[in-house]
Parts: sequence; structure tokens; C-alpha cells
Amino acid sequence: MSPLATMAALRSLVAARFPQKTRRQGVHMPTGVPAIDEALGDGLPASQLTEVVSAAPSSGGQVVLSRLLETTRTARQRVALIDAADGFAPHAVSPDALRHLVWVRCRTFADALASSDVLVRDGNYAAVIIDLRGIAEKALRMQPGTTWHRLHRVIEHAAPAVLVLTPCPLVPAVSWRLVLSTSHGLAARRMSQEQLAATLTVEIARGHVSDAMERAG
Amino acid sequence: MKFCVLWVPDFRLHALRRSDAALTGRAAALITGEGRKATIAEASPEAKGVTPGVAVTLAMAQCPGIILRPRDPAAEVEAQRILIAAAFSLSPRVEATAAGRCTVDLQGADAVRTEAQMRLCIRELAKAGLSTRIGAAATPLLANMAAQCAGPLLIVSDTRNFLRPLPLSFAAPTLAQTEILSGWGIRTLGDLTDLTKADIAQRLGTEGVALWERAAGKTTSVLRHVEPSRTFEAEWEYEPPVESIEPLFFRLRAFAERIALELRAAQLVAEELTLTLFLEDETDYRRSFRLPEANADLDSWLRVLDSHLETVRTAARVARVRLVAKPIRAPEKQGGLFDTGLRDPAAFWENLARVSAIVGEGRVGTPLISDTHKPDTFVLVKPTELVPAPADPPIHPQRGLRLRRFRPPWPAHVEFAGQRPAALESAQLRGAICAVAGPWHISGEWWKPKAWAVETWHVELREGGVYQLAHTGDVWRVEGVLD
Repeated sequence: MSPLATMAALRSLVAARFPQKTRRQGVHMPTGVPAIDEALGDGLPASQLTEVVSAAPSSGGQVVLSRLLETTRTARQRVALIDAADGFAPHAVSPDALRHLVWVRCRTFADALASSDVLVRDGNYAAVIIDLRGIAEKALRMQPGTTWHRLHRVIEHAAPAVLVLTPCPLVPAVSWRLVLSTSHGLAARRMSQEQLAATLTVEIARGHVSDAMERAG
Repeated sequence: MKFCVLWVPDFRLHALRRSDAALTGRAAALITGEGRKATIAEASPEAKGVTPGVAVTLAMAQCPGIILRPRDPAAEVEAQRILIAAAFSLSPRVEATAAGRCTVDLQGADAVRTEAQMRLCIRELAKAGLSTRIGAAATPLLANMAAQCAGPLLIVSDTRNFLRPLPLSFAAPTLAQTEILSGWGIRTLGDLTDLTKADIAQRLGTEGVALWERAAGKTTSVLRHVEPSRTFEAEWEYEPPVESIEPLFFRLRAFAERIALELRAAQLVAEELTLTLFLEDETDYRRSFRLPEANADLDSWLRVLDSHLETVRTAARVARVRLVAKPIRAPEKQGGLFDTGLRDPAAFWENLARVSAIVGEGRVGTPLISDTHKPDTFVLVKPTELVPAPADPPIHPQRGLRLRRFRPPWPAHVEFAGQRPAALESAQLRGAICAVAGPWHISGEWWKPKAWAVETWHVELREGGVYQLAHTGDVWRVEGVLD
């Protein structure tokens, strides 16, 4: 049997044994960042947790956030931003791209987790963004893994796509972990948002790489 | 109040009475042990003169018509699930502390709304056959004590005065401690806390200190949260099999009560109910009911099940019954042709109030940029129920990386080479600057005493990263990273 046929047989076996995997391939929410949308297959998957790691300063994490706000604004979808370090700058986004946003300005990491617990269960949001950048890595790592596993369980049965922006790989057993590792310089300041988003490159640190490559052709 | 405890006294007996129609309104008791050693564990109020701990023979003599039953673990699991579902209607952070006892973390909950919800919980659980008491207080331990004193709801606001008259047993002393303290004439928690902690430590050691802290309500604990149920089904095996509708309907009613409560706690509704009757002859009878309108309303479910069961005729007796509800999100409310409204407005506003209580007043909302050039000036406004249609794209859209602010900004020292910043040093960040843009001067309100002026630079560090610096007077600050 050829490797391709073996792979196809293996896939059908997995699909039969784990039907929930096929169930997950449902609604996706485009982020407006081509590299991320391609990697995830049309955007952030609903009812799943996606982690985007800003591994270097100025690697484009805030561009991803603002592009997602603009894309969801166009689609008139409501978005919650749980801002653990209170770093979001409303002036960095056009005023109209804020009108569908519910911004939670947390004081502590614990506040962010407690707020996430409430908002991911709320069926009124198309996306919930949990921004943990700006929180000390030590504090993030002290959080027991069970917190994240619990959040996974809640999200599996909830409607929104959940994006976690982190400064380091953090969330255990996450479906997709994408890493932004290329630091941009001042030269990027003349680029439009579309151009900048097109130049962002992501590395798939965790996820179904073969699926992504297959989609990309 | 930060925590509450839902407590069902005589939980095992209540669970048993929910599962057995023959016990409704009758004198009943739960027995423990076997043969001659069997004693009464819990007794219903109808069993006059029967108290826990008495021998079974004595109980039968005291109350001739009493029905005696052993524990029913399956009924207890069912009752515990209904209690947990009720607890989830108060908050998503629930601990199944023990059989018949749940502790709920109420952080962020609105006090008035939560009190009303607690009263509703008590009513719903009573309808489901679980007579529940709820105590709310600042710590899980205090809430537990309050639940034991509640009738049926007690919210403790003055911890000291609440604890003072309670008997010493509320602090769970060991047998040895009880003997010593009763020898000292200490009967209540107030008597104990009148002594200093140091005195207790000197005489009773670390265990004594722990007892004193419990008596003073200073002990707290971390809750082990449980997950809300995600499978909305229930199953029961009849022993012996049944052939009439009454026991079947009694069981289905108990199932429906629990499943409806679990659905409401998960903010879901059922669109379809599936009833399966497993018959004694190894066949089964299955019927699905698509509800006219998806809901979690017990009465409408029972109407559907009752009217169907009256028409059912089976070839053999029913040995097992299963009820499954197919959950969906509550359907969106009808809006305008082009409106994008809220799916569940009540949950939206309630959750916003809860998050606001967690992070603080004025820290949740939709940002609205203020009409000024002063940097980082905005207000948070109440989100709109409808997401309006997007406006035309701006004529001059922003370019480049976007700012992520450090709040508060980091004080920094900047070294200059000629007219340009050459190095940056702050507690969090330091390095040589390889490229700069700026400065941009902005100022405003020069006609007011609090006039402001700031000079802004964008600098790129040699190690990577573009940062925004602000220069005001003689002070430099790193305002954020361009990311």
C-alpha cells in the first residue's frame, strides 16, 4: 500500500473512531491575517481555543488583534476582549472598529481568568479574546493546568471562538498554537494594515499541520 | 457575601423519597447496619418520636406505620446532580463539597439579584423534593455554618455577631479538645474567641490554633470546581419491572426536573426529547418528541410526555426507562431585518454585571474615544444591544504596527547622541537604539491651568522591538510597544 493510501486509510479509521474530531471542523471566523487564516483553515475555529504566542517584541500580536476587530466589525459580530494587563489602546484602532467590542480591563491575571470563565459561557459573543501579554511569565506558569483544561471543556460546548494571546507557549492541550516570532522594525511604520498583515508569518507549534498543508495545497 | 453553601439536611432520605413514590407523605426512615445492629440513620418529620441512632425495633414500636429503607446510591447521585444544577444557576464556580452540600463562589455576582436567585433555587429544589437551606458569607466555612442555621436562607453580614452564640461544635473540635474546653466552661464560639489566639496556641498547640481560627471565621479554603453537566439524559432500572403508567410518570417527572434545571444552568434549551422504554422481553420502545418551541420548561415537557404515555401499550413490562434531551442554544430573539441583536439579552447584561463586579466598576464596556488630542483619553460606555452597520472606511487609515500600552508607563532614562535618542534604560527594558522616528509634539488645553504637552518618539532597539517613548518636562516614559 502506498504511503498516501495508508494515510487515507488511517484518516478514515480515526474519523470513525473519533467522530467528535469531524464535528469540530465547523464554523470558522476569519481573522484578516492571511497566514493565520490559512494555518487554521478559514480562520479561528468556533468552540475551540486557539493560542497565538507573541514570542518576540513587535512581532505583530497587536496587528492580529486589530485585524480581528476590524473583520468581526464588518461581519457585525460581537467580540469580548479580556485584557489581563490592561494594555489595549483604543486609539490604535479606528473608532468604528470598536463599536462591537466589550473590553474588560482587568487588574490581575486572576481577574482575567474569572472574567473568561463567565464570558465564554455567554452565547452572545462570536469571539472571546483573552490577552495575557504583559503578565509576567512566572505568574502565568504558576496557574495550574487544570484551569485551562476546565476552560477547554467549557468552550467545547460553547459557541464562541476563543483566542488566547500569550507571551510564551502556555495553554496545555490547545488545539492550535501559532507562534509569531519575527520582530518588525520601524520600517514597517509606512505599511498599510493589509500589507502588514500579509507580511506576518506564523509557525504552527501545535495543531494539525498536515491538514493545514493539505489545504494550502 | 462571597460564597454560599446549599445544604440539604437529611439528604440521603430526601434522595430516597424523590425516587420512591410509595414514600410520599408517609412516615419513613433510612436505616444503617444489618440485622439486630440496624439503627435509624435519618427519619422523616412524619415519623414522630423516631430519632437518628435508635434501634430499628424501637423505631417500629414508636411509629408502627413507619417504612424503613436502606440507602439508595443511584437516587443519591440523581439528587446530587439536581443540587449541583441549582448551584450553577447562581455562579459558574461550584464545588460539590459533600453529598447534599455544594459551595458556590459568588465573586462578582450582584447581591440583590443573587439573593432573589437563591430564593428561587430554594423553591425549585423544594418542588423537586429537596428541602434546601442556603447560607451566604465571606468564606466557604462561614457560609457552611450559615447554611446550618438558615431557615431557609441566611446571609451573614456581621460575622462576629453571627459566630458568637453558635455552639462550639460548629468549629468541629476533636473529642479531646471538647473535653478540655468544656472543662474550662467554654460552650460557644464566642467563649473561645474571647481567649487570645496566643493563649490557645500555648495550651492546645497548632490544632488549637486551627480550632480558634475556625471559631473566629478566619479559615478559608480553595474550592475544587466541578463542571456543569453536558449530557442531558437520565436512566433508571426498575426492580421489579413495572406495568402501569404511574411509576413510569413519577420517574420521568423526577428526570425532567433535573434535566430542565441542568439545561437552564448551562443557558441551553431542549429542542427534542427522546423517551426509551426497555422492555422485559429484551425489546425497546423509542419515541422522539420535537418540541413546538425549544425550551427548558418542565410543565410543557410533562404535558408532552403524559399525553403520549397514556396512549402507549407495550407487549411486556418496562424494565428500564431513559429520557434524553437534545440541547441547543436559546434561539435568537426576533429583530429587525438587518439587526444583529443579542441572542440572550438577560444573560448578556447579567454576565456584564458579574464581570464588572470582578474587575471593578467602570472597567467593562465599549471604548469610546474622547473628543481630544490628549493621548489615551477615552471612556467606556454601555454596549449597545444591536451591533450597528459598519461605517465607511476612514480616508486616512492608520499605518504601521499598533500600540500596546503599558499602564502605568515605565519610567525610563534616555541617552542622546546629538539630537537623537541613542540608548534606553528602564527597570523592565534596556538597550541601544538603532532607529528612531519623531519627535511628534502635541499639546492641548493651554487655556486651562492643567495644560498638557508631550513629545513622542518611536524607537527601535538593536535587540528587537519598537517602543513608544513620551517626554514630558524632564521625565521620560516608555508608553508601550508597537506590536
